[in-house]
Amino acid sequence: MKTSPKSIRGLVDVGKLNLNYIHHVDNHFSIGSASTYADVIRYSRKTGKLSMLAKALSEAASTPLRNRITIGGSLKDFPIWSSLYAPLLALNAQIEFIGKHDKIISLEEYLETGIIKTKHLIKRIIVEDEPHLIGGVKRFALIRFEYPLFTVAVALRAKKRIISEARIFITSVKGRHKHCKRAEHFLIDKELNDETIQQAGKHFAPKFVSDYKYSAEYKEHTAKVFFTDLLHELKGALK
Amino acid sequence: MKLPFKINNKSKNLELFPNETLLHVLRNNNFTEVKCGCNEGECGSCTVLLDGKPVNSCQVLAMSVQEKEITTVKGIGTLYTPHLLQKSFVEAGADQCGFCSPGMVLASYSLLKENPKPTREEILTALDGNLCRCTGYVKIVDAVEMTAQKLQTNNLGME
Repeated sequence: MKTSPKSIRGLVDVGKLNLNYIHHVDNHFSIGSASTYADVIRYSRKTGKLSMLAKALSEAASTPLRNRITIGGSLKDFPIWSSLYAPLLALNAQIEFIGKHDKIISLEEYLETGIIKTKHLIKRIIVEDEPHLIGGVKRFALIRFEYPLFTVAVALRAKKRIISEARIFITSVKGRHKHCKRAEHFLIDKELNDETIQQAGKHFAPKFVSDYKYSAEYKEHTAKVFFTDLLHELKGALK
Repeated sequence: MKLPFKINNKSKNLELFPNETLLHVLRNNNFTEVKCGCNEGECGSCTVLLDGKPVNSCQVLAMSVQEKEITTVKGIGTLYTPHLLQKSFVEAGADQCGFCSPGMVLASYSLLKENPKPTREEILTALDGNLCRCTGYVKIVDAVEMTAQKLQTNNLGME
């Protein structure tokens, strides 16, 4: 709406395509692209599922905006301050869209291959229901209403406190998102204790761009602090 | 063009251009209780309820909500028959210049309807899209708490 509606010459109302739904079928969540942030938050509150995603979305924007912002619109738009991408990438989400070809691909592939820049309609997001996965998300904003400087999301699978799988993503970095594979590889087969967390921080090195408010170095340092804080929280959840 | 809308439990024919936002359509059709603040979805002065949920009407194309129930602050109570929540705003001194009040009242109304016993933190979250430059928010939150208390004491619903 920031671009004047007066400049609009034609409108197609995608609100009537019945894409506003959240289904739980065969161990997967299917989230229609017209579902709003508030829909996901309400669903999570009711079922206790999708809590990592719901936490990220409940911190984004404001209550009246969360009642309007759709999952599909946010995915296609991918603003630099997006709170949606990091948790979805950490949850290994897939995306179904209609364009030149109808496809279901991983969200990471959707970004890496540049499909996001082509003309298409997003139908839904698919997230596997992984009850043994523990995850968390943190965003850095000075005040609640501000756009976040970055959002970091971590999902871990562990057996007897030994990490068997790690998925770590950060958004708002140089290139918009980063899959932090070095930190992931470091964490595999290790016990999540204070020593491991401290070392993992050294393998977490996202690159930022300086802006008029913050230098890249400041953001990199803060991101490391947030990442290790998040691992400490997850350590508590592993007990 | 003139099109029918459902506003405050009544069917109304509103004059509009197809590319107009709900905020401007409402104000141009004498629903001036809906205030125009930032026009960018930041301040919440233009809050209305769409099917019971608060939205920034400056971020909604009017044409896209023709089948939805629109509620403005006059839909929950009037000057002569104010709603319990509106009375609490007056009692708590939560109104100063009054520009943010319609949005604050509607956001609070929607919260109390969904959650009649909100915590202070839940009230702050529900009002996070409504800015007030006068009160410092404390009395607004007090007014919502006061309403919740009255609802419980008198065993009332939010209708």
